[in-house]
Amino acid sequence: MSSIGIIANPASGKDIRRLVSYATVIDNNEKVNIVKRIILAAQAFGVEKAYFMPDTFCIGYTVQEDLSREGVLTAGIEVLDMQLSASAADSTAATVMMESLGAGCILALGGDGTNRAVAAGIKKTPLIAVSTGTNNVYPAMLEGTVAGMAAAAVAGMEDPYAPCIHDKRIELAINGKDTDSALIDAALTEDLYAGTKAVWDISRIRCLVVSRCHPASIGFSAIAGCIDIVRDTDDWGLCLNFPEGESLPAGGKKILAPVAAGILTELTVSDCRRLNLEEEFVIKAGKPGMIALDGEREVQVREGDTLSFRLRRSGPWRVDVRKALEMAQKNGMYNR
Amino acid sequence: MKLTKEKLQDMYLRMRKIREFETKAMGLFAEGKIPGFVHLYLGEESAATGVCFCLRDDDFITSTHRGHGHIIAKGGDLKFMMAELFGKETGYCKGKGGSMHIADRTKGILGANGIVGAGHSIAAGAGLSISCRKTDQVCVCFFGDGSTNQGTFHESMNLASIWKLPVVFVCENNNYGISMSQARHQAIKDIADRAASYGVPGIAVDGNDVLAVYEAASEAIARARKGLGPTLIECKTYRQRGHFEGDAGAYKPPEEQKEWLEKDPIPRFVKFLTENGFSAKELEAIDASVGQEIAAAIKFAEDSPYPAVEKTVEDIYSDIIEEVRTR
Repeated sequence: MSSIGIIANPASGKDIRRLVSYATVIDNNEKVNIVKRIILAAQAFGVEKAYFMPDTFCIGYTVQEDLSREGVLTAGIEVLDMQLSASAADSTAATVMMESLGAGCILALGGDGTNRAVAAGIKKTPLIAVSTGTNNVYPAMLEGTVAGMAAAAVAGMEDPYAPCIHDKRIELAINGKDTDSALIDAALTEDLYAGTKAVWDISRIRCLVVSRCHPASIGFSAIAGCIDIVRDTDDWGLCLNFPEGESLPAGGKKILAPVAAGILTELTVSDCRRLNLEEEFVIKAGKPGMIALDGEREVQVREGDTLSFRLRRSGPWRVDVRKALEMAQKNGMYNR
Repeated sequence: MKLTKEKLQDMYLRMRKIREFETKAMGLFAEGKIPGFVHLYLGEESAATGVCFCLRDDDFITSTHRGHGHIIAKGGDLKFMMAELFGKETGYCKGKGGSMHIADRTKGILGANGIVGAGHSIAAGAGLSISCRKTDQVCVCFFGDGSTNQGTFHESMNLASIWKLPVVFVCENNNYGISMSQARHQAIKDIADRAASYGVPGIAVDGNDVLAVYEAASEAIARARKGLGPTLIECKTYRQRGHFEGDAGAYKPPEEQKEWLEKDPIPRFVKFLTENGFSAKELEAIDASVGQEIAAAIKFAEDSPYPAVEKTVEDIYSDIIEEVRTR
């Protein structure tokens, strides 16, 4: 039986960046619509079962009820029986359950933060990341119908990894202890608390590690992307340091970067160097702060802590949607 | 966003004052010393504190039937508040308003309000006044999730948005309108989504994290001061007690109550403070000073006289013609 898993984060796309930048608002009813399109496309191409993460907006139940009432639901819908914490831990726990149930592909609707939570639980299931968040680099803006078709294609493939990229991940250790990880970027900030989590005051960032970067993205990764380009297929990332104050240090660089939606900020980079796969970037925290993972303040740092960032290819197997659909065409998936 | 130790201490002091005031009010109501109704703010202390911490004395707030927390966070006098709850002559409304009508114009507190949704239009009016007087004041409008189904919410958001009024709408989504859960009264989960229909920024924050509320509120208030118009902030929080004292809250699932008690804003903030340079002794000293202040407020209320019978209708009806003539 061909099955897929759907993790739709009801909290994505609503944080403070709508106030401090010009970020997009995606309400939860639109997420329901996207998921409906995913289900309709996936079932048309052979998916018989869809597992849903339960959530506070009841996206899975709403999709099931609406599509059933309209008489167009043929796939089975199962909302996972799990205790909700209304936090990122739900995405991680649901991912683990979907893998154990044998889902052929997992679709995550959210932003970089949602995908980071999914990545913490995923081991081998191909992932389609659909953007419904802010400043996203990891998930793509995808039409739900197309995402559903690709999920069906991957779930039915003999080699589901053929259209996938095994993503990089930045693994963080503090004082030698594995602590957390990020898919796209990890930044040391001088903020002392998590607060609203998002980081928008770039002057408080002291260093940044990115697994990939491009000027066509938004956020921390775009800062690095204004200096160099690192693709998801490259076996390296970048480390950047930022000086305290405005003065330009020797060898430093001033850039204008899109740090948030509609926000272009001039900033100074002291140095930027390549970080190869498996290489460790170690710094000693000169003062207390927070580490922002994929744009969100998550981990507290104390003065004197030794921080280690290691780039590894230990992230999810992310589906290249265009490639999956091209392979499906060659395999005759669309023929009737 | 930088916060000095003194500021963090002040934040904790305000939260602790609200907690202690409400805890004492709960006991005094049960003892029959407080007449009428009390709607307690227990569990929501971080929302009022995080927002009011960004305000000046000359800024305004409008409040609700659950207003004690807002008034304390904005600097209301505990003695006059407690006396008002007791129905004593020394209270904010000379003992004739009770818990739901406390106001203090010297602190910009435009009043608690027994009518659900009544504060929205008062806030829009205050915003219009600020706009006409061309000052950089701000009005914060506190309200609950239930009131966002009232016409006043939509009318006020609309007026505030078209006239770019300096009003920050703060929805304390505590999941219940009286006994009606949000899931039963709205087809949306995030009230912040409603802002988009008025072209206003709308954000949802963890209302039980005082620092998250503070960060969001300071940005929204700064935006309003600059003349950039209103913002809707939805603080996700939870009412730990029933709608009013005497409501056992049987409609609240026990597991939901348990989950939210674990998210209690005060222990969360205490944990942050103790991990960031505060000693247990320092916090205990603040707790002790709050205890003394509340004890003094209760004594003041108990020792105060009731209003005389002949003053029953005094200050109740306004002589509008005389007021307008002398304005």
